[in-house]
Amino acid sequence: MTARAVFDFSEHQARARRQTAVLVLLFLLITLAISLLTGVVAGFLFGGAAEHVGHQTAAVPGGLEGMVEQIDWNLALTVAVLVAGIILATAAIRALMLGGNGATVARAMGGTEVTRDTRNPAKRRLYNVVEEMAIAATLPMPRVFVIKHEKGINAFAAGLRPGTAAIGITHGALASLTRDELQGVVAHEFAHINNGDMRLNLRLMAMIFGLVALSVAGRMVMRSVFFTGRGRRDQRAVLVAMAVGLTLVVLGALGVFAGRLLQAAISRQREHLADATAVQFTRQPGPLANALKKIGALQRDEQLQNPHGEEIRHMLFAEAVARRSPGLLATHPPLIDRIRALDPAFNPKTDPVWRQPQREMIRESRRGLRKQSEGSSGLDIADA
Amino acid sequence: MEMLLIILVLLALMAIGVWLYNRLIRKRNAFRNAFAQIDVQLKRRHDLIPNLVESVKGYMSHERETLTEVIEARNSAEQVRQQASGTPGDPATMAELGRAEGTLGGVLSRLFALSESYPELRASENFRQLQEELTSTENRVSYARQAYNDAVMKYNNAVQTVPSNAVASMFNFGVVAMLEFEDREQLQQAPRVSFS
Repeated sequence: MTARAVFDFSEHQARARRQTAVLVLLFLLITLAISLLTGVVAGFLFGGAAEHVGHQTAAVPGGLEGMVEQIDWNLALTVAVLVAGIILATAAIRALMLGGNGATVARAMGGTEVTRDTRNPAKRRLYNVVEEMAIAATLPMPRVFVIKHEKGINAFAAGLRPGTAAIGITHGALASLTRDELQGVVAHEFAHINNGDMRLNLRLMAMIFGLVALSVAGRMVMRSVFFTGRGRRDQRAVLVAMAVGLTLVVLGALGVFAGRLLQAAISRQREHLADATAVQFTRQPGPLANALKKIGALQRDEQLQNPHGEEIRHMLFAEAVARRSPGLLATHPPLIDRIRALDPAFNPKTDPVWRQPQREMIRESRRGLRKQSEGSSGLDIADA
Repeated sequence: MEMLLIILVLLALMAIGVWLYNRLIRKRNAFRNAFAQIDVQLKRRHDLIPNLVESVKGYMSHERETLTEVIEARNSAEQVRQQASGTPGDPATMAELGRAEGTLGGVLSRLFALSESYPELRASENFRQLQEELTSTENRVSYARQAYNDAVMKYNNAVQTVPSNAVASMFNFGVVAMLEFEDREQLQQAPRVSFS
């Protein structure tokens, strides 16, 4: 290996943390804005405007000033607090429901546990690598799972607290990565545990769920008005309730959309942070870059064949659903950007690892496990 | 009024002093704990070596000299380890431990280099298992050492920088030594090249 550029992990970590903080703040601001907006609309409708709907004769004061005058501010504030309360309460309930331990999540994804007494050399190596990284990260030993029948290279960390965390590795990663590359991938997952990313993501998902609940509540209001209001003659109340319901639906949907964008943006930052933290643990960016290159090489057949793919994609080591363009909803930064951050000299056109066929990767990976005599038949000079 | 002000200032100074003192204690505990981790991993390394020698003895009968060297280096390293576990951070002991482990790493990598010319040995499952365990242990030692050295740096920074250096000298917090293995190059190369 040639001399590699120094990778300043603390610098990268600091930047990723700053950007995450900004994004989380934005998320809270969105929630706040939606609550306030709903409050103002409700205050407007139930305040002065409501009376005008009933009594068409009264003069409607023109312009924005006139509208502001009509808002019932006490009501607006009450509604705003109520809406924020609904969002946060549903979010909290959702967080409690999703907050299981990592092993449960790993099993749900079809993982089989690897234990200390495994006889399989590849699994034994994986278990050792995880133990080594636990020392490097000074974190408790998580439980280790292998996702069978998964040819792609991928990995995930699950569990909200370091004490209940689990790390899952696809069979493809186990078979195609060398020991050092496996270490890089495991270090990346440890970085997620260390940085509290599962907790952060859970909170964001819960917040989005709260916003979804808001628009659901809006729809319920509209529907109930539609059914109960038909017989009555109180047109005014029906209209006002319909307007409130519609406001909730629209604002909720807008909030959910903005929330999804933000969640993806935060997730992309956390991936960069995890790569940087992984280098802090292993002190060598090369193998992690190589693991990412191998993912790039396999991307054609990689697609994670898991029905839960969409729900868990933010937890994975690399984007499960291959994307052509770095969309705003992508949970991971483009592979090439991640590789460049670790290996500035990377060039996809000439990089040997980026173009390596999987068969060769598997052979290289096994060389570390199999009897040496097989590998030393003359062809292998890769270690030099 | 003035009296009250003086009392307040004194109280504030005392609070800062207590806080600095506790910070030093926490950092000292951190590096001691980190050293305990190294100790565990070194113990594991030393426990594996007799097994290794036992399993290669039959194949490598011509390398008796190297095997004796490995055992000797292991025994003296184990002795130093036992001494060092009582005095983490002591410069003389740390240097000695670094030297002993460096020597052990050196002869071990020589042994693995020699094993290349014994195909039956390399084919034996037992040997391959031991090799994986030793590779893993080497990595654990180096990660534990990394964590220890980081903890030592933080502690030393606290001991030497203003204002905690005043508290440190008042309560005899001394600068402690990092653990560097002599022959580091070779030791870091050992698991990466000849084991894989």
